[in-house]
Amino acid sequence: MINIQNLSFHYKKKSPLFNDFSLEVESGRIVGLLGKNGAGKSTLLHLISGLIQPKSGKINVNGFVPFDRNPNYLADIYMVPEEFAFPSISISTYVKAFSPLYPNFDHHKLYDFFSEFELQPSSSLNKLSHGQRKKFLIAFALSTNCKMLVFDEPTNGLDIPSKSQFRKILVSSVTEEQLVIISTHQVKDIDTVIDKVVVIENGKIIYQENIDEITQKLYFDLVPSLTGVENVLYHEQCPLGQKIIVPAAGGNESSIDLELLFNAIINKTI
Amino acid sequence: MNSNKFFNVSRFYLLLRNDLLINYKKYLLTIAGGFILGFIFIYMYMPSQMYSDANYKLDGSRYRYFFAIYLVGLGAFVGSAFSELSSKIKISNYLLIPGSTFEKYLCQFVIRAVVGTAIFLFIFWVDTHIARIAVLSHLKNNLGQLAGPEKYNYIEKFRYSMLLVKSNYPTITYWRSFDGIGVVLVIFSIGMFLFSVKIFFRKLGLIKTGISLVAALYLLMVSMICFSYLFYPETKGFNTADINYLLSNGYNNNDIFLYSIGYLAPLFLLPLGYFKLKEKEL
Repeated sequence: MINIQNLSFHYKKKSPLFNDFSLEVESGRIVGLLGKNGAGKSTLLHLISGLIQPKSGKINVNGFVPFDRNPNYLADIYMVPEEFAFPSISISTYVKAFSPLYPNFDHHKLYDFFSEFELQPSSSLNKLSHGQRKKFLIAFALSTNCKMLVFDEPTNGLDIPSKSQFRKILVSSVTEEQLVIISTHQVKDIDTVIDKVVVIENGKIIYQENIDEITQKLYFDLVPSLTGVENVLYHEQCPLGQKIIVPAAGGNESSIDLELLFNAIINKTI
Repeated sequence: MNSNKFFNVSRFYLLLRNDLLINYKKYLLTIAGGFILGFIFIYMYMPSQMYSDANYKLDGSRYRYFFAIYLVGLGAFVGSAFSELSSKIKISNYLLIPGSTFEKYLCQFVIRAVVGTAIFLFIFWVDTHIARIAVLSHLKNNLGQLAGPEKYNYIEKFRYSMLLVKSNYPTITYWRSFDGIGVVLVIFSIGMFLFSVKIFFRKLGLIKTGISLVAALYLLMVSMICFSYLFYPETKGFNTADINYLLSNGYNNNDIFLYSIGYLAPLFLLPLGYFKLKEKEL
């Protein structure tokens, strides 16, 4: 569980990024943290991970203050950063070196993910492509079974089949005790896996809703034209016509189009 | 207070194991490289011919010179501690490794300073002995013939006690008791400074260390000038009052001053590095 209260943060000689920011998220969720470039998504993930210290306010994650970097906290959080570097060792050596530091590490799960992602334990990490290294890191992160998993742009650099594999293994792996935060620009990549959306802009939460509540309130549709369509909250032209968001009526539910929703939120029509 | 938060034996073992698994090739190459380069260096600077002049004998003073050069190598190894902190991408990985700051600090200290120094001392000892044996096998006397048994005295067998004995200076036959400890502590201080370079400076650590050392010496000099003006008004220009008096135990006041700095610096640098690491941010 994450509990952030009245958080303020700014980088040296820069204007405040977060000012009186509060957020509460329960465990057992996969949260999509969305926002434009520079909105503060990565900074928020770094604050939650304990890599940077808030200027004021409180952050509590699973009963720990992240910046204390309590070893028990670090053993229960895993972050997949947007950019990463590996030592010049093989996958199996990396697993041998790092897995014992995570008490709940599941080796069977890891080797299942390796099969899914077609990774060879004998491969040298630095000889893999960026996408393959990212797949390894995702597989390792999920195998740690940490209560808190943080993914910063996890689908960047993944090819199309790997993106769907990522969604598949994420959904199959995460348990009710875990909390997963995924920060991404590529909202389409995660729209079928998240169950809560948090949108931040200029260091403030401008939207947060559970997916089931969104689908109860909003209806996403594709229509040939806007003629005759009433109460359109947001629309975007596409090759097949218009993608629209309208209020859900009569218990009708649709699949969520996260990109459309995100654009609607950013354009302040929702 | 929960001590597990600061130190746990099994976690510390896992951190050590983690470091060794990741860096073992680098360490083995460093040891092999140090051993070979050290041997070549000592071998090249050992005499190839015996001279009647005793000054050409290879004794403690020459070994001290070899040892000082070796120390530069050890300094470079110790200075490569916390290499993950040199890159922003690697810092997050390092800071998020499940272990307390104390364990991470101790882990680097044990590997770089304790084990590194022990291996360094062993390599130096082996190199000096092998180089001596190699040189003795073809050492010639002043007639150009292969030297006889006297060659074993011409190139003395290295002992660590030689480093603390000023055998070349007849007026001082042994170091005063604190001199040896003082030298060791000054070396330790410089080592600790190098050990924590990466914690303080992410980039160009050695250059910045050099600049800060010069700055520290400059500040020391300025403060000495200020004190001179304060307590000895006759001081002129940038001179310091040269007050030198001998104490009853053979030391003078300047020895005590320099040794105090040498003794106290490691006590200050080690905790400073730890707290700096604890507060380290991305």
